[in-house]
Amino acid sequence: MGTLITLIVSGLAEGALIFLMASGLSIILGMMGVINFAHGTLFLWGGYAYMFSYYSIRARVILSVFPDAFQTGTQGGILRVTGVQLQAGQYLPFSQELLIFVVSILIAVSVVFIMGIIFEKLFISRVYGNAPAQILITLGLQVVFTDLVRVIWGPNMIPMSRPPFLDGVSSFAGGRIAHYNVFLIIVGATVAIIIHRVITKTRIGMVIRAGLQSPENVQALGINIRKYFTVIFACGAALAGLGGALYMPLVGNVVSSAGMNNQILAFIVVVIGGLGNFMGSFLGSIFLGLMGVGVAVFLPAISVVANVLVMAIVLVFRPDGLFGKAVNKS
Amino acid sequence: MSIRINVADQMGSKKMGPLALVSLIILVIGMFVLPRYLKNAQLIMMSRIFLLAVYGMSYDILRGYTGFINLGQAIFFGSGVYMGVIFLNIQNDLTYFMLAILAISALSVIGGYIMSKIVLKTGGVVASAMITLALGEIVRSIAERWRFVTGGQDGLPMRASRVALDPLFETRIGAYYFALVFLIVMTLALRQFVLSPTGRVLLSIRENEQRSRFLGFDTNKYKAIAIIVSALASGWTGVFFAVIARFANTDYLSIQYTLNALLITLVGGTGTLYGAIIGSAFVTWINNFLLTLANSYPGATILRFPMLFIGSVYILLVIFMPYGIMGGIYRLQAKLNLGKDK
Repeated sequence: MGTLITLIVSGLAEGALIFLMASGLSIILGMMGVINFAHGTLFLWGGYAYMFSYYSIRARVILSVFPDAFQTGTQGGILRVTGVQLQAGQYLPFSQELLIFVVSILIAVSVVFIMGIIFEKLFISRVYGNAPAQILITLGLQVVFTDLVRVIWGPNMIPMSRPPFLDGVSSFAGGRIAHYNVFLIIVGATVAIIIHRVITKTRIGMVIRAGLQSPENVQALGINIRKYFTVIFACGAALAGLGGALYMPLVGNVVSSAGMNNQILAFIVVVIGGLGNFMGSFLGSIFLGLMGVGVAVFLPAISVVANVLVMAIVLVFRPDGLFGKAVNKS
Repeated sequence: MSIRINVADQMGSKKMGPLALVSLIILVIGMFVLPRYLKNAQLIMMSRIFLLAVYGMSYDILRGYTGFINLGQAIFFGSGVYMGVIFLNIQNDLTYFMLAILAISALSVIGGYIMSKIVLKTGGVVASAMITLALGEIVRSIAERWRFVTGGQDGLPMRASRVALDPLFETRIGAYYFALVFLIVMTLALRQFVLSPTGRVLLSIRENEQRSRFLGFDTNKYKAIAIIVSALASGWTGVFFAVIARFANTDYLSIQYTLNALLITLVGGTGTLYGAIIGSAFVTWINNFLLTLANSYPGATILRFPMLFIGSVYILLVIFMPYGIMGGIYRLQAKLNLGKDK
């Protein structure tokens, strides 16, 4: 029973992270009909931007409060980070730690949001309605910006610890629950509710849904749909960036291959849930998260292929995904 | 007004003019004489160009002739490289080379069949690109973990350090001819495939899938054939590549090599088959150029990431030169012919 609770919580946390990634992908696909093969790299930039700002801000704050703190050496490429360790008995007050964490997350999300705007304006706006060109161009962006990360922050793995106030484990009904996992679940659920409300209840969501049906009519009503597209793409990117920023502390390190791995997870979710189907990707993420944890514990031998196996099985029986396609694009 | 190009005309079903024929013969003879005047490094580069050209052509069968974007093509190429190294490590002669070819043929046919079964279910370029990308990355990560066979991230070197395929290819010149003959044979074979009735159906699928279906063709079956043929050609190229590279690692399975194939076809022009030869020369040259640059400026870390530059070139190509070099030439020709008719 205890083990089960631990597994479910960590599976849900995994799922919440996959959801942050997959929802951005799914929104961009569902609303704009664009498949973003550069999503993994946006995720990665979120992670690295978070890592860089967290390290830099925290080192500065700690050194200003405790000048005798121990520096653990620098890492990275062009931009370098310095690890700082507090001596025994010293700690930053909760409010400061929280501020550092939130500011770092905000920086990461804004960096990726701006990248999203640039991507859309410079590249993707040129290839609307041309699916092969979209795939090729975003794939190129993926490769270039992933290597750019390696140039800027170095190709090696950089350790990344969780913020101290989230770095604990509690016992609950016999199971051990990491606080960070609970935090991830809360963030995932909040984001899901916000996105759902925006799409179904607000004017922006209405314009977006109308634009999906008939872009010409929306334009004829005097609404600049292109501007909306830019914002949607940037928001989808920002979600990936948030996912990246929250993912790195979970696994405890930052490495440039994480982008592609998570992009593939998100793709599998989007395919399983039905292309561009928001609800589908929500449920698909939870399913994939729970399954990933379960397989890793009970059947570690097939953990690498489990996801693809599930995707293959779903496609054989339900080619449109478990919850149906939202877009009918070739 | 858009210009429709009759692809069959480009592919030489029309009689080739005597001038073109003579220049082609001179070019081929020149290629056979050339190695006498080349250094070892240049020989290796030329052999790579020939083999990657075949890889590009095998990709073009899919991308250019059916419009299907396979982002897992490197699975077959990389498996070929691994097969070549593994078999030649057992015994370094022609028999084991042929065994490697047999093994990769079986693997490519089975793998291509499974891939087509999974991918063609959803139809659609977008979904198939996503799924093949996932398949490719999964195969790569399996190979990375399966250290016993693949050597993991360290890669798998060929044990005989100097001689590959005794006694035929003791020298790099031997390997050069090996690659050149392979290129010529495969060009003829793939050209024949494209001109065959099956190839015509593939073209019609690219132009208008719905109409081909209404004409009574089982389009998914034909697409599966294209996937398997292209997988086979890529796998064979991989085995030949093992002889040149004398080393296998998971890079050959990764998205990087799929991107190389995409770039080769893009530079040359998708759907032109021969364009892949030009594309391969360009891609290999730029790779070599970056490598020498990185060696002469060891301080510049940015030069150690060739995909940064190759990827940028690739993005620019997609935006500004979507038809590639050969595609551009054919378009020009078509325009001129149109003018003549009027």
